[in-house]
Amino acid sequence: MTRPRLVALGLLALLLFAALAVVASGHWQFAAQSRELIDAPASSAHWTGTDDLGRDRTVRLALALLLALGGAACASAVTTFLGAAIGAAAALSPSILGLALIYLGDLFLTLPWLFLLMLVRSALPLGLSPVASAAVTFLMLGLLGWPVFARVNAAQTTALRNSGWMLYARATGLRPWQLLRTHLLPHLKPLLLVQFLVYLPICITAEANLGALGLGIAEPLPSLGGMLLELRRTALLGTTRWAYLPLVLLVAVLLLLEMTIFEEEQ
Amino acid sequence: MMFRRICNLLLLLAASALHAQAPTRISWAIKYDPKTFDPALVDDPSSETLRFLTSGVLLRQNRLTLAIEPALAERYELTPDGRLLTLHLRRGLQFSDGSSLTAVDVLWSLNHVLSPATAAPVLQEFGGGPVTVDAPDPLTIRVHLSRRVVSILRVFDEIAIEPANRPSQARVTSGSFTLAEYKRGESVTLRRNPHYWRRDPQGRSLPYLDSLQIDILANPEQNELRFLRGQYQLLDSISADDFNALSRKAPGQFFDQGPSFNTEQLWFNQSPSAPIPGYEKAWFTSRNFRQAVSFALRRQDMVRIAFDGHATAANGFISPANTLWHDNALKPATQNSAAALNLLAADGFRRQGKTLVDRDGHPVRFTLLTNAGNRAREKIGVLIQGDLAALGIDVNLVTLDFPALGERLAHTQNYEAVLLGIGNVDPDPSSIENVWLSSSPDHQWNPSQKSPATPWEAELDRQTHAQSTAATYPERKRAVDAIQQIVSTELPFIYLVYPDALAAVSPRLDGVVLTPLQPRVLANIDLIRWKAGTR
Repeated sequence: MTRPRLVALGLLALLLFAALAVVASGHWQFAAQSRELIDAPASSAHWTGTDDLGRDRTVRLALALLLALGGAACASAVTTFLGAAIGAAAALSPSILGLALIYLGDLFLTLPWLFLLMLVRSALPLGLSPVASAAVTFLMLGLLGWPVFARVNAAQTTALRNSGWMLYARATGLRPWQLLRTHLLPHLKPLLLVQFLVYLPICITAEANLGALGLGIAEPLPSLGGMLLELRRTALLGTTRWAYLPLVLLVAVLLLLEMTIFEEEQ
Repeated sequence: MMFRRICNLLLLLAASALHAQAPTRISWAIKYDPKTFDPALVDDPSSETLRFLTSGVLLRQNRLTLAIEPALAERYELTPDGRLLTLHLRRGLQFSDGSSLTAVDVLWSLNHVLSPATAAPVLQEFGGGPVTVDAPDPLTIRVHLSRRVVSILRVFDEIAIEPANRPSQARVTSGSFTLAEYKRGESVTLRRNPHYWRRDPQGRSLPYLDSLQIDILANPEQNELRFLRGQYQLLDSISADDFNALSRKAPGQFFDQGPSFNTEQLWFNQSPSAPIPGYEKAWFTSRNFRQAVSFALRRQDMVRIAFDGHATAANGFISPANTLWHDNALKPATQNSAAALNLLAADGFRRQGKTLVDRDGHPVRFTLLTNAGNRAREKIGVLIQGDLAALGIDVNLVTLDFPALGERLAHTQNYEAVLLGIGNVDPDPSSIENVWLSSSPDHQWNPSQKSPATPWEAELDRQTHAQSTAATYPERKRAVDAIQQIVSTELPFIYLVYPDALAAVSPRLDGVVLTPLQPRVLANIDLIRWKAGTR
C-alpha cells in the first residue's frame, strides 16, 4: 500500500472516528431545537454554530457523515454483490440466459433512476420512520447500480472460464461452487473491491442530490444534501463561514475516496 | 468660439431629443413560461400576469381598495334581484390594431367564455346556471343570469374583450399592452397599445411605458441578483430568508407589505373511507384533538424562524389584509400547553412515559405530509414535530413531490395529516365556497359527502349558501363571519401563518403602487414610468 493511499485511508478513518465521537458523546441531540439560537455563530456550546432551526451543526454534520458513509457502504456492498452474482451467472449459464441477463442490465441502465427513486419514495408506507426511510433510500441505490458492474464482471468471468487453468480444474472434477470459491472469486476480488470503492462516492453524491431535492433522508435525521441546502441562503453566508462545512466535508470525503480508488486501480 | 458654442448647443439639443424619443422599457422576471396566451384559458400565475397586462376588460377590480371600477364599460347597472347586469361601453373604443371595439366584440368574447366547448375556468364563476347575453345597441350589453351571483362584477375582471371571430393570442388586444415577441423559456416582450382607451389626468394617452421585457427565470437568487445590479426594476416575490439581507444591500428598495392573502395550514384526514386505522380516524374527527394540536403550536416561532419575521400568526382562512371580509372578532391563536393537555385528557388520552397514548393504549403517532422543495414549509414541519413532541405526539415528517402528494390528497385519500399553503388570488370569499360545501370534492378534510357528516358542517353548508345568495354586503359579511367562527372553533384546517407580501421596486421608477393582490407590483402598470433623468 502506497503512502498517499495510507494517508487517505488514515484521514478517512480519522474523520469517521471524530464523527463517531461527537455523536456518541451524547453532549448534543441532533434533533434538539434551541429556538432562541437560530443561525447562531460558533461558540463553546455549539462549536460550528446552529442551523436555521437552532440545531447544533456539529452533531448534525457528524451524524450526516456517518449516515452517508454507512449507508453508502451498505448500498455499495449490495450493488457489488448483485453485479458479481449476475455477471457470473450471465457468463456461466447457457448463452440464451446469459444474453437475457445482459439485456436486463441494459434495460436497467435506461431507467431514469432519479424518477424511479422519487416514485418509490412516494409509494412507501407513510408510517416509515426516518431511519427506515433512510435505509430504503440506500437500499434503492444499492439495487440500481449493478448493471454496469455486471457487464464488466460477465466479461471478466467469461475470460476466466475460458482460461486453461479453469479448463484443467473442471477436467479434474471440481464442482461449480468449488470452482467459484477457489478459482473465480479470488481472481475477481480486486475487480470487485474497485467496484465497491467506485460506487461509494456515487452513493454519497446520489444521497446528497436527493437530500437537496428534499426527497432523501427524512427530517429530523440530518443528511449531507439537506445541509447543503443552507448554501442557498445568501443572507446566512454573509454571517457565518461554518455553513460551508458540509460542502467542504463532502468534497474532502469524495477526494479521499478517489485517492483510495485510484491507488487500488493502479 | 461662437461656432463651437453653437455646435455644443446643437449636440445637446440633439441628445435630449434622442433621449426624449428613446423607447421606455422596464424589465423583470416571472418564474415559469405562461401556459397560454389565450385569455379565456388562463389558469396559472404567469398567464394571469400576462392577461392582466394585455387584456382589456369591461370592469376592473382595484387591487388596492378591492373596489370594482369601470374600464371598457364606463358604467353598469345591476337590477335589485341581481339577475340582469347592463354594461355601457365607452365611445370610440379601439383594439390595438386600430379596429373598432363594439358590442359585437363584447358579445363574442362573453359567449366564447360561456361556451362549455371553450372550457374557460371563469365559466364556473357564473354560478352554474344558464347565462345569456345580448346587445340592444352597439354600446350596451346585457347579461341575463338565472340567479343572483354575488361576485358577478368581479368576474368581468377576468374576461378579456377580443376582436370578434379573430382571437389573436394577445397579439391584438384592448388592454394596455400587446404581445410583441415570445421566446419559450427565455422572455416575453410586450409592446404598448397605441389605441388604449385610458388617459392620465393631463389627458396624455396611457400607458407611459413603450414596452415591457419579462424574462423567464426560475432561479430566485438570480432574479434577486439581477434586481440588485439594476437589470430588473421590479421583484414581485422574495424569499423571506433573503429579505433582510437584501434590504440592507439596497435600502429603500425592498418592501414588506404586511400579511398577504395567502395562508399556511395543516389539516387531518377525516374521511371515513380513508385507508387509515379506525382509531386514528377517531383522533382526527375529535374537535378536542384538533384544538389540542392547535393549542400546542407556537405560531410566533414559525413566524420568526420559518419566515424570518415576515409573516403573521394566523387565526382563520381570511387574512387581515382582506379588510372587507376578515372577522376582527376572531380570537388570536395562542400557544397553551395546559389547555392542550386538558383537552386531550377529556378525550381519554394519557401520557405513558414520554409518549401520548389514546384510551385504548395506541401511541399517538401520525405522518405529516408536505411538498418537497419549500424550505419555509419544511421548517414549519420540523417546528410542528418539536411542538407536538412536547405533548408526547410523534410526528413523522414526509416530503413528497407535488404530483405524488396531489395523488394522495385528491384520489387515494391515503394520508393522515397534510401541511400546505394556499395562495388566495381572489379576495371574495365566494371563490372558496367549494372548500366549505360538504358535497364538494374540494372539501379537503372529508370530500364529496352525500350529506354533512357533522352538525357544524351542515351549518357551514347553510352559511355558505347564505353568503352566496345574500343581497347586501352586511348580510354576506354576517354569513362569512359565521363561517370564520365555525372554522376557528372546529378547526378542519389549523391555520398557522399568513406569509407577508414581499416586493422590491427600483427607486428610479415612478407610479408603482404595491398591492396585496396579484399582480402586486404591476397593479398600476398604466401609470408606471421612469423618473425624470434616471434612465
